[in-house]
Amino acid sequence: MTSENSKFKKLDGNVPTGPIADRWKSHKFHMKLVNPANKRKYSVIVVGTGLAGASAAASMAELGYNVTTFCIQDSPRRAHSIAAQGGINSSKNYPNDGDSVYRLFYDTVKGGDYRARESNVYRLAEVSSGIIDQCVAQGVPFAREYGGTLSNRSFGGAQVSRTFYARGQTGQQLLLGAYSAMMKEVHKGTIKSYTRREMTDLVMVDGKARGIVVRNVVTGEFEKYTADAIILATGGYGNVYYLSTNAKASNASAAFRAYKKGAYFANPCYTQIHPTCIPVSGDHQSKLTLMSESLRNDGRVWVPKVKGDKRSPDLIPENERDYFLERIYPSFGNLVPRDVASRNAKLQCDAGFGVSATGKAVYLDFADAIKRKGEDKIRAEYGNLFEMYERITDHNPYKMPMMIYPAIHYTMGGLWVDYNLMSNIPGLFVLGEANFSDHGANRLGASALMQGLADGYFVIPYTIGNYFASGKFEKIDLTHPEFEKALQESSSKYKKLLAINGNKTVNEFHKALGHIMWEYVGMGRNEAGLQKAISEIQALREDFWKNVKVSGSSVDVNTELEKAGRVADFLDLGELMALDALERKESCGGHFREESQTPENEAMRDDENFCHVAAWEYQGDGAKPIRNIEELKFETVKLTQRSYK
Amino acid sequence: MSSKRKCSPLSSIGKKQIMGATGLLLCGFLVTHFVGNCTLFLGPAAFNKYSHALTSNPLIYLAEAALLGLFLAHILMAIKLVIENKKARPVEYHTYIKSGRGGTFASKTMPYTGIIALVFLVIHILGLKFGTQYSTTIDGIEMRDIYKTTIEYFQDPLHIVFYIISMIALGIHTSHGFWSAFQSLGLSHPKYMPKIQLASKLFGLFVVIGFSSLPIFCYLQGGH
Amino acid sequence: MGGNSTDTMSLNLKVWRQKNNKDKGQMVDYKLDGVSPDMSFLEMMDTLNTKLIKEQGDTIAFDHDCREGICGMCSMMINGQAHGPEAETTTCQLHMRKFKTGDTIVVEPWRAKAFPVLKDLMVDRGAFDQIIAAGGYVNVNTGNPQDANAILIGQENAELAMDAAACIGCGACVASCKNASAMLFVSAKISQLALLPQGAVESEARTQAMVAKMDELGFGNCTNEAECEAQCPKGIKIENIARMNREWFKGALGSRN
Repeated sequence: MTSENSKFKKLDGNVPTGPIADRWKSHKFHMKLVNPANKRKYSVIVVGTGLAGASAAASMAELGYNVTTFCIQDSPRRAHSIAAQGGINSSKNYPNDGDSVYRLFYDTVKGGDYRARESNVYRLAEVSSGIIDQCVAQGVPFAREYGGTLSNRSFGGAQVSRTFYARGQTGQQLLLGAYSAMMKEVHKGTIKSYTRREMTDLVMVDGKARGIVVRNVVTGEFEKYTADAIILATGGYGNVYYLSTNAKASNASAAFRAYKKGAYFANPCYTQIHPTCIPVSGDHQSKLTLMSESLRNDGRVWVPKVKGDKRSPDLIPENERDYFLERIYPSFGNLVPRDVASRNAKLQCDAGFGVSATGKAVYLDFADAIKRKGEDKIRAEYGNLFEMYERITDHNPYKMPMMIYPAIHYTMGGLWVDYNLMSNIPGLFVLGEANFSDHGANRLGASALMQGLADGYFVIPYTIGNYFASGKFEKIDLTHPEFEKALQESSSKYKKLLAINGNKTVNEFHKALGHIMWEYVGMGRNEAGLQKAISEIQALREDFWKNVKVSGSSVDVNTELEKAGRVADFLDLGELMALDALERKESCGGHFREESQTPENEAMRDDENFCHVAAWEYQGDGAKPIRNIEELKFETVKLTQRSYK
Repeated sequence: MSSKRKCSPLSSIGKKQIMGATGLLLCGFLVTHFVGNCTLFLGPAAFNKYSHALTSNPLIYLAEAALLGLFLAHILMAIKLVIENKKARPVEYHTYIKSGRGGTFASKTMPYTGIIALVFLVIHILGLKFGTQYSTTIDGIEMRDIYKTTIEYFQDPLHIVFYIISMIALGIHTSHGFWSAFQSLGLSHPKYMPKIQLASKLFGLFVVIGFSSLPIFCYLQGGH
Repeated sequence: MGGNSTDTMSLNLKVWRQKNNKDKGQMVDYKLDGVSPDMSFLEMMDTLNTKLIKEQGDTIAFDHDCREGICGMCSMMINGQAHGPEAETTTCQLHMRKFKTGDTIVVEPWRAKAFPVLKDLMVDRGAFDQIIAAGGYVNVNTGNPQDANAILIGQENAELAMDAAACIGCGACVASCKNASAMLFVSAKISQLALLPQGAVESEARTQAMVAKMDELGFGNCTNEAECEAQCPKGIKIENIARMNREWFKGALGSRN
């Protein structure tokens, strides 16, 4: 064990036993049920209305539970699930190309670099087929073949075509399906939906999660809500890095508040970097835009062989270009996995070979593909992406190579949950990207949508019933002292932020944090860098609480105050990520420790010492959190070292 | 979604469909009116006989009542729409620019061209239907000499100018209204819509040229 | 290549400022220097806000989220056009290279009775959610529906349904319509579901319920001017409105009460 803290616990994931293929079936049978007539006596709060939240809210309301939803945007339909482009995986095996529940399970475990819980992943693969049926029944307009059947494609290097898609807007269409289902229940009165609310605290009564405090961002007032169970479906924390492909309002505050109330935060260092994003154009940049990975099917990645070569790319002759992915990985070439492609791009730029005014970009060249296939063919395949690229950069990728650079895209870590998706706090369930879940140390393309909907449509409706049926729930009054306390704490935090009236804007702090995170807790991590990150974040946090300038007042809309509240949490979470990365002295998936690599510079796991989940337990501000662990047992899939040479 | 159906004719779509349906029927009236008036070109006897046949038929009252109903429905709905649409945006924009990719001159001026057409209608009825009464006998039957009234009426160049201006307004009105009715009634299809839009423009042109030819003809008949 | 133009622009901005829903509000002039042509319109607004913070002012509130043109949150009337002058582009994807130094840019919130202003450029589009709640869905519960491939959908209808489903619910159609009509938004959802067998069953009832809700909320009427189509960032066509009208007409003819 690597943690110096001897008080750490070994966590039990409450995983059912028996053959892996029967576990979920048998678990469903053994779980207690709530009588249909009694369901309306139970209430659930759902925070976040993305794929996981909206699908959970709709499904539970249909069963008869009283559901209340909260979202930060002006409508539940705008959650960032909407931005997912590529598609959703399912083990339907419609193309007859050898897919199966077992293969999807196996690929996901392997893709996650053996750091996910086998039983959860198997269940995910098992329910994936029902997700497609459900979405089609809702009217999600998936792509079709001429005969009217559903169309599939291969995605992200998968060897079978198991990805269902709706043009480049799969996330949007799936979310609108779940949102519609949710609005159907709003109409029936089984869901009450609150918008423009930000959760500021979790309220616990007698050791159970029994309510939340939210800030109404229109009025600035704090509101209290109680329920018998609380579900967090609040997404990932990629915005710790300031620049990411996440939406601007995506934040970690709800999950982090729960952490501070005792929920364990698992594997915070597992972040995913996407290699094909549009590079930063200047200091004004507020967010990054991802382009589909499919571009690497035809584009060739290169940099000039000479450092700082400022010539226009069309003037650089073939023999002065370094197609570094093809050179280093002759068999996979430009199609190496996301993390490998990203890391190599950053290595080239750090070594001074980067292009663009900032030196932080590599070329993705379609000249050969256009020559080989013709411009029309390329236009048909990538037209919308090329258009988007040109709109943002003002460069025509048909004439000049694109410039790309990696960006933070997804976070595999999140609140620790057991097989029932319940955190260590009774009554606090966590779904979707917000939990640490099923992707291990690296998520496969088109699997995020699958997991969000699996959690919401097909897991939580069962497991929440079991929780309700297993205990007694007294009605809690909103005047309960725990609510009062939580409200006061929330309110004083915001008052404190407003009172500092320093000289640096919230964004300046956020950018500074993002810079530290990207440099030291980004694609390549090492002990010295991580220690440096921790001390720099601590200093930055101190500065933040002394010098941040939050304009406006506590009443009415104050977007600066909202941002300040989130950045305060990002500062704490950033340190926790660095700490987790420091203590995980192995490389796995998206977590690349430079000290732990194969002679071919590949991520090298240390299964002997780190085949476990690290679940961090808060010990108070300034105190080092405890690193609890959950051992990961691989009974079905054999651990192997991945190689892409 | 409740199973109770809500399809009030006064819903936003109901109103539009009433506008469209009455508009199309009024277009039909314009066509028959023009065809009938073409008897003017054949001389006094033909025109007066046609007019007599029309007005002596007892069904004319029914037809006039129906026509009045169409006009009233069309006008009242238009007034209601304009008022409601005004209310839907209580605070105006500081700057508001049409993209130029959407609306046309005709679509933007519908209420105005409609008002011109309405004023014209009143003056037109007062000046001709309730104009100077002459009588004549054709084939032994005594009847009104509406031909004479018409020719006299259009000896005044002011009357001609007003008539033509009004027809231009009505032509513009129908050039948007005709296709718009198909859209409102849901009778549109991407394949046929461009043809319907072309037909709409041609209809407007027909209204302008067709009807304007009448007063000019009358003016020339008056010994000029 | 890269970091295209190093020349920055100076702009005169006229921005609608309104403290809250009760405040009357007015246009306020701002001067902003150092605007890079590579900035998005929202990044330009960020820059203005940073300047306001440094000058001890209150920042301009505006809605935004994904900043990649899909969430539908951003909503600005720029120089009298919804999402600004560029066709099929949301405000977040509009770049400052479309403007030139010395330009005066007028920025206003969406204006409609059904979209009350909350603060500055931020409006409440909850009315759209209410319309969807009235019927913008297929009445199916989570469970075990038939196999997805048991429902065959011809590619043409699937594509048309997808065209309509691409609506991001931003409200540009309402903002740009001279009557503040929500017909394009409502018809996009009605069309999508009417074109698919799953949704066609209850299409007439859906149409009536959604239209009734739309009317109740105070949106204006459609006068077939197609300004909504012209300014829709996702290119939703008014043929959807015709399809909705048809569904409504069918329902009106076949109604039993």
